[in-house]
Amino acid sequence: MANTSAARIWTMRLTFPALALLIMFFHLLPLNTEPRFWAPPDFLLLLAMTWSLRRPDFVPALSIALVMLLSDFLFQRPPGLLALLAVLACEYLKGRAAPQRESTFASEWLAAGVILTGVFTLNRLVLVVFGVEQAPLSLTVIQIVMTILAYPLAVWCSQTILGVRKLSPSEAETLMSRR
Amino acid sequence: MAKGRSQRDDYTTPLRRLLTAVLCLCLAAVFIVWRIDSPRVERFRAQVADQVVPSMDWAMVPVTAAINLVRDFQSYQRLAEQNRELRSELRQMRAWKEAALQLEQENARLLDFNNVRLDPQLTYITGVVMADSGSPFRQSVLLNVGSRDGVHDGWAAMDGIGLVGRISGTGRDTARVILLTDAASAVPAAIQPSGQTALVTGDNSAAPVLSFLENPDLVRPGDRVISSGDGAVFPAGLLIGQVAKDRSGRMRVRLSADYSRLEFLRVLRHHGTEVIQDPGGLVGAAPGDPVPQPRPEGLGDGSAEGTAEAGNG
Repeated sequence: MANTSAARIWTMRLTFPALALLIMFFHLLPLNTEPRFWAPPDFLLLLAMTWSLRRPDFVPALSIALVMLLSDFLFQRPPGLLALLAVLACEYLKGRAAPQRESTFASEWLAAGVILTGVFTLNRLVLVVFGVEQAPLSLTVIQIVMTILAYPLAVWCSQTILGVRKLSPSEAETLMSRR
Repeated sequence: MAKGRSQRDDYTTPLRRLLTAVLCLCLAAVFIVWRIDSPRVERFRAQVADQVVPSMDWAMVPVTAAINLVRDFQSYQRLAEQNRELRSELRQMRAWKEAALQLEQENARLLDFNNVRLDPQLTYITGVVMADSGSPFRQSVLLNVGSRDGVHDGWAAMDGIGLVGRISGTGRDTARVILLTDAASAVPAAIQPSGQTALVTGDNSAAPVLSFLENPDLVRPGDRVISSGDGAVFPAGLLIGQVAKDRSGRMRVRLSADYSRLEFLRVLRHHGTEVIQDPGGLVGAAPGDPVPQPRPEGLGDGSAEGTAEAGNG
């Protein structure tokens, strides 16, 4: 029952922005000011997505939106766009969270991969439509691939280190009944 | 989507879905406002960075230092190899040093002949690099000097040797420098010795492209690229780098500034270039009179060329 107590839920709700700030902190360190030929995975989006699939109650849409908007502002991205896409993707995943409770990891990874590709492609398409200057396509492709490859790592970290697991049916029952 | 909806209903109540929709609309509105009124939102962005990044600074400095320490330690492993490289480089440098000394003497002599005063208005503030852009898609760094120190948008930032970028966005304590390598950066430049003007346009690679070259045949790899001061944004004559040709035959600039470790940057105070509007007493022609007066005897050809070049540059 410890997994569904209010204290645990609120701790994890606060842990999410804290972790996000930590990730942003490491992104902002002035270690590499040369242009790179590769792009690291987008860990913020991965974190939001894996948590949305496992414990939707830990990541309310508002907290995802605020975190992604802050990262949009700090990382010099067009503000609001990637945040909007992230919120939409996570809401969709939260909807899938319940029926996917018994599915295998491979199918989950595949679904996440499709959604990640969709998010980054839509992001680029919208920027093209609005006529915003962009980095070369190869960087975006590399970032998509790296992010999809890093998905199991994000899942492993959230499950073993932070204990963000899918609820067992009985736990889900107690959570629903309290609402 | 349609299949999942019935199962989703027990999870997300209609009210929650409404709130999510409102949230999405807000985010879309932020994006559209940014697209319409970019300067205002960019000012807001500078303020956000000004609030957030300095509060992380206490941890950023030691962590950066620690990671750099580990990197330096890794480089000890190939010490012998490095030593050999350095020795051969040192031999080359000795030859260059001789050449530089001779040039310096020659330069001093020539400056003395011409009685040149280097621009006394060009002073600088030095800032420490606090953070980079945080994303591989944008090339910029955040300095720890801001409007409090009198930094203005558009001023040039250099490391000890060459131009690094320009200030774009100032907060109270921080200022963002858009690097020359960023895709949004374009700087008017002149190429010596041919005197061609071009734009140094960043494209997210280590060497920016030279675009809008009038006559590419006159430009050879190895030529010096300096800022031309066109558009009155930058002072003229700041070293940018050398021309190089890439594999597809495009002209690029190999930057003189050391981009691999930007730690301290000089922000040059620039108060605009003076514009000469009236012909002045020397020429003395009435306004609207197209016929130039004969030149005074005392001015030789050489100095006339010198002033013309200074005006251009």
